[in-house]
Amino acid sequence: MSRPSARKPATKGEYIETDSGNKVSRRSAITGTANITLGGRTVIMADVHLRGDLHPTRPVPSSSGKEVTPTSISIGRCTVISTGSVIKPPSRISRGQVHYYPMKIGDNVFVGPHCAVSAISISSHVHIASHVTIHAFAIVKENVKILPHTVVPANMVIPSGSVVGGRPARVVGEVGEGWGVSGGGAGGGLGVGGGGEEKWVEGGDLRELVRSIK
Amino acid sequence: MAQPFPYTYYACDCFDSNTAASASRAAQTPADDEDARTFDPRSPRSNYALYPLEHLLYCEDCQQIRCPRCVIEETLNWYCPSCLFEVPSSVVKSDGNRCTRNCYNCPVCTSPMTVSSLEKPTEPSATGGPYILACPYCHWSTVEIGIEFEKHTGITNQLSRIANGGKTLPTQKERDKERERRKEAEARGGIGGRDILSGSEDSPTRDGEGNAAPPGHDDIFSNLSAFYKAQMQAQTPSNPFSPHDLNFSSPSTYSRIMNLYSSTASKKQKREKPALMREAASALEGLALHDPASDIAAIERIKKEGWASTLSPARKLAQLNPHVRFDSELRPTASLLCTKRGKRCRSCRHILSKPESKITSTRYKIKLLALNHIPRLSLRALSPATTTTTPGPSHPPFNYNALRPGIPIHFLLHLSNPLFDPIRVTLATPSTTPGAIASRITILCPQFDVGANTDVWDDALSSSLSPIAKRSGDAQFEAGKIYDRGRNWTAVVLEVVPGFVTPLGGKRDEADGDVKGGGEVDADLLEIPVFVRIEFEADVSVEERGLGDSRGSKGEKERREEAFWTVLGAGRIVDV
Ligand SMILES: [Zn+2]
Ligand SMILES: [Zn+2]
Ligand SMILES: [Zn+2]
Ligand SMILES: [Zn+2]
Repeated sequence: MSRPSARKPATKGEYIETDSGNKVSRRSAITGTANITLGGRTVIMADVHLRGDLHPTRPVPSSSGKEVTPTSISIGRCTVISTGSVIKPPSRISRGQVHYYPMKIGDNVFVGPHCAVSAISISSHVHIASHVTIHAFAIVKENVKILPHTVVPANMVIPSGSVVGGRPARVVGEVGEGWGVSGGGAGGGLGVGGGGEEKWVEGGDLRELVRSIK
Repeated sequence: MAQPFPYTYYACDCFDSNTAASASRAAQTPADDEDARTFDPRSPRSNYALYPLEHLLYCEDCQQIRCPRCVIEETLNWYCPSCLFEVPSSVVKSDGNRCTRNCYNCPVCTSPMTVSSLEKPTEPSATGGPYILACPYCHWSTVEIGIEFEKHTGITNQLSRIANGGKTLPTQKERDKERERRKEAEARGGIGGRDILSGSEDSPTRDGEGNAAPPGHDDIFSNLSAFYKAQMQAQTPSNPFSPHDLNFSSPSTYSRIMNLYSSTASKKQKREKPALMREAASALEGLALHDPASDIAAIERIKKEGWASTLSPARKLAQLNPHVRFDSELRPTASLLCTKRGKRCRSCRHILSKPESKITSTRYKIKLLALNHIPRLSLRALSPATTTTTPGPSHPPFNYNALRPGIPIHFLLHLSNPLFDPIRVTLATPSTTPGAIASRITILCPQFDVGANTDVWDDALSSSLSPIAKRSGDAQFEAGKIYDRGRNWTAVVLEVVPGFVTPLGGKRDEADGDVKGGGEVDADLLEIPVFVRIEFEADVSVEERGLGDSRGSKGEKERREEAFWTVLGAGRIVDV
């Protein structure tokens, strides 16, 4: 019944809130901060490891000729990375050298607890349950639900609108037409989402969830 | 797909209730008529009626929920789930429902395979090859079946030319030519085309090839299809099918052949009766005789290599050739295509959902969702942590997987209204849950109102008018009173006393109780059937009512009613 009450004054709590509303846990491990972009209102929970230090080493040609900081992880808006998950950009060994490739995660993506993600791209409105492993260079399209304990093999493309599960992952179903739609009825109450307790729906707008994380 | 607790499933009542299963239940309680019957989530039939709300559509004309069973699907287009290329329907008809690009799945674990290079750094090749298809998950690769590719593109084309072991397979054209050549040779050699039934002897015409191997699956198929083609051409000189349209790998053509058979058999056509088509009689016509030697060879191989070299049923079924037995015969399987589909109401044929046809688009042109028309019910435990205004870490989260029998649990049943009109809700539930473990259910306030789904800002205004139930720490478990309400939602308390898992635990059941309990799957699952009836007054608008009813009724209100069963998954009862 906790309706969004007035925001409490920022005491020294679990999260550091940035100007754009990102909430980063003090207990998260972020390496290579300069190579990571967070879109705003994105939550990085405790014990999350963002491997920004693993960035592309190939020289990035820029128009001005100046040295640009390579991006290794870019995360969109209202995305939640839950406790204990590791986000590591995918790498490939070519001519005896390890090359890292930049990883992109979209908006309103929920990454459940204890996941290991090395996808090359995850589009928006994707719900990843707990203990999911996504191997290097996998592409997850929009509106996808990944069931708990799934292992997505390297290079797999998951088409939008599918539900995947298993080890290795295979498409086991489709999300319904109502995926991510809170139905206008959710405002002000609880009651949606997989668990029924939250004020948000899987694949939907995660703003409420982000707001409730303190 | 199992959902975490607590969940709500909605029942679509489109199934035929006059079935044996429900009839037998009705026989037990003859007084039950259809309206009075409690929905039983444990009935096997319920598996096909219960859906999460987001999977349901709503037909505004029938004013009814539409589930996947009561809609008609229309395929808009086909695409490959792996390379995301659209495949035109003409290609689907001619080449089948698999990707013809480079998309393959591992025959061992189904993971999508990748093309990798085997180029040695010491001796680089011009093409960067040779290439193989490799599974990134289980590390099976085409090396194990002796297949390598020259180029990294056009895998389908290359694979169709290579047999396991690396031998080159003839193309369709070469097969046709070879067949013609051998037929001619047979005719010259005086061997009657029809008496090759004398076993699978390798005719001396098999010069050049010199292999004693029996014809492969593809050979037999192409021979047989050529034979049928020739037969049909001989049969109907004025062929109704143009020759290029005759593709024997498409099921539609087969059905047309079947039609042809039946139409010639039926005596509607009074022309001279065509001669009966004969069946394939030689290997060149696609006749495959069973060779016992192959069985003996297979047995010998199993003796030598053990069961490990044979295929599991799942792997075997995933193969294009269903007759393979050993892992050395595996072939990578081309990815099955996916479809984008529109949906129509089965009874009135109105479009309920229609996605944009572009593969990359995730938008819908039309989407009539049930969750915009029927209230959303959600359940959660009313634990001390949620009643207090300051949820602290001191309260552990409620464990839905360990409900203790005999101890009353209070759940909050939350109902939110997506409609723009206020609704009056009546809930009904059986006093005990059906099934072996009878849990006692009480809805403290079964009848209440839910506000309209008006603009969010109205909430602030109206809240000052209608006093919202206090949210003090005191539990308000008063019967007949709602627990809390907001703009378009109302919450009531549901009291549950979980039953005992073991019948010994003081459960005095009838004799049949023992039979029902015990071994039943998910007997400990606490699922509560709740019947929901909503009444509201809706505007009679032109769009909604159609032209027939629209005359002069502008601004009028009409009473509407909606009723459906839901099942609330509250958790699992532990055995104590
Ligand atoms: Zn239905
Ligand atoms: Zn493909
Ligand atoms: Zn594999
Ligand atoms: Zn209809």
